[in-house]
Amino acid sequence: MTLSASGDLVLLVVSAAAGLLGALGGVGGGLIIVPVLTLVFGVDIHVAAGASIVSVIATSSGAAVAFLRDGWANIRIAMFLQIATVIGAIVGALVAPDVPAQILLLTLGIVLLISVAMQVARLNDEPGAEAPAASPDPLRLGGEYFSLRLQRQIDYRPTRVSAGFAMMAVAGVISGLLGIGSGALKVLAMDGLMRLPMKVSSATSNFMIGVTAAASVGIYVARGYVDARLVAPVTLGILVGAVVGARLLPRLTNRHVRLVFVPVLLAIALETLLRGLGVNV
Amino acid sequence: MTDARLERLMSLVLAIGVIVSAVLITLGFAASFVVGWAGSLTGAALRAADATDFSGLLSRLADLQPLAFAQAGLVVLIATPVVRVAVTALGFWRERDALYAVITLAVLALLVASFVFVR
Repeated sequence: MTLSASGDLVLLVVSAAAGLLGALGGVGGGLIIVPVLTLVFGVDIHVAAGASIVSVIATSSGAAVAFLRDGWANIRIAMFLQIATVIGAIVGALVAPDVPAQILLLTLGIVLLISVAMQVARLNDEPGAEAPAASPDPLRLGGEYFSLRLQRQIDYRPTRVSAGFAMMAVAGVISGLLGIGSGALKVLAMDGLMRLPMKVSSATSNFMIGVTAAASVGIYVARGYVDARLVAPVTLGILVGAVVGARLLPRLTNRHVRLVFVPVLLAIALETLLRGLGVNV
Repeated sequence: MTDARLERLMSLVLAIGVIVSAVLITLGFAASFVVGWAGSLTGAALRAADATDFSGLLSRLADLQPLAFAQAGLVVLIATPVVRVAVTALGFWRERDALYAVITLAVLALLVASFVFVR
């Protein structure tokens, strides 16, 4: 792979856009940057995943600074579910080199489509109002956050914790396999299965992504898939985008967040799926 | 609720890790425009540097190689979540929350194993 100096600048700008979208949607920028690197820049998918998995740590850590300050991330939920995501991520990264690129692209396309479907399905769902505060909570996973928009504190408790845990293991495998944060699958587990408020799910997911990514990045480095020349512009760009996104998020309602996110992801998802199926568009 | 203090501490760890790594990567990235990714600001003769090889990082940093700065930034970035988990374990321990101290230590052990045992 030969990247010119101007190519590096293009990568920087594209990565900044990916980081911004990722932070606003509660998913890592990796979900966007892996297909872009693979399909647009012609990077080997494992090297793209290696660059992405590092940048995903930056996205998660950068955004989590703001999320933690705002008190949305739930550390207990994150730590408990990380047991599942970390084991999954190690397994995913170990098997990734043996999985054909077409299969990886297909999987990537499917994860992207799931993300888009999730955003569309829950477009009009108001978070918080449905929080099942009376469900049992032996692991003390419940919490509260202050809604800027509703101007009151919202208490919540998770439901279907084992199903959420299992889903997190799957999210971990996908993360290790594709070098993405699997934020969409994490949000799906927390917001869909465990019925946590959307913003708590998003913030906790973002918080977990860095640790999940750290579990597979060592394997990517050991196998020579982390190329610093590629990772530098990608990581810097995504970091800037993610920090800006995290600052913007509290000012936006969920509808706005998703409306920005949906069409862009849909286009990338369809392109990735088609390439995974061997169709060049 | 001391969770708030723990959250502030973790926020600090994350911010320091990200800022230090971003500065290192930016230095490496900027310097690569001056002498190229394969060059060195000291003009020292280089052995062929493989961008995916992290070995000899300190001596390559001393040679002011752009690649070494970027790689050092990546190492700091990768270490940040691991340190964050360690700090969280300590926080739960100090709160005498045995259940979550153990859960967090299990996560830490898995992370360390992924770096040490997997090749």
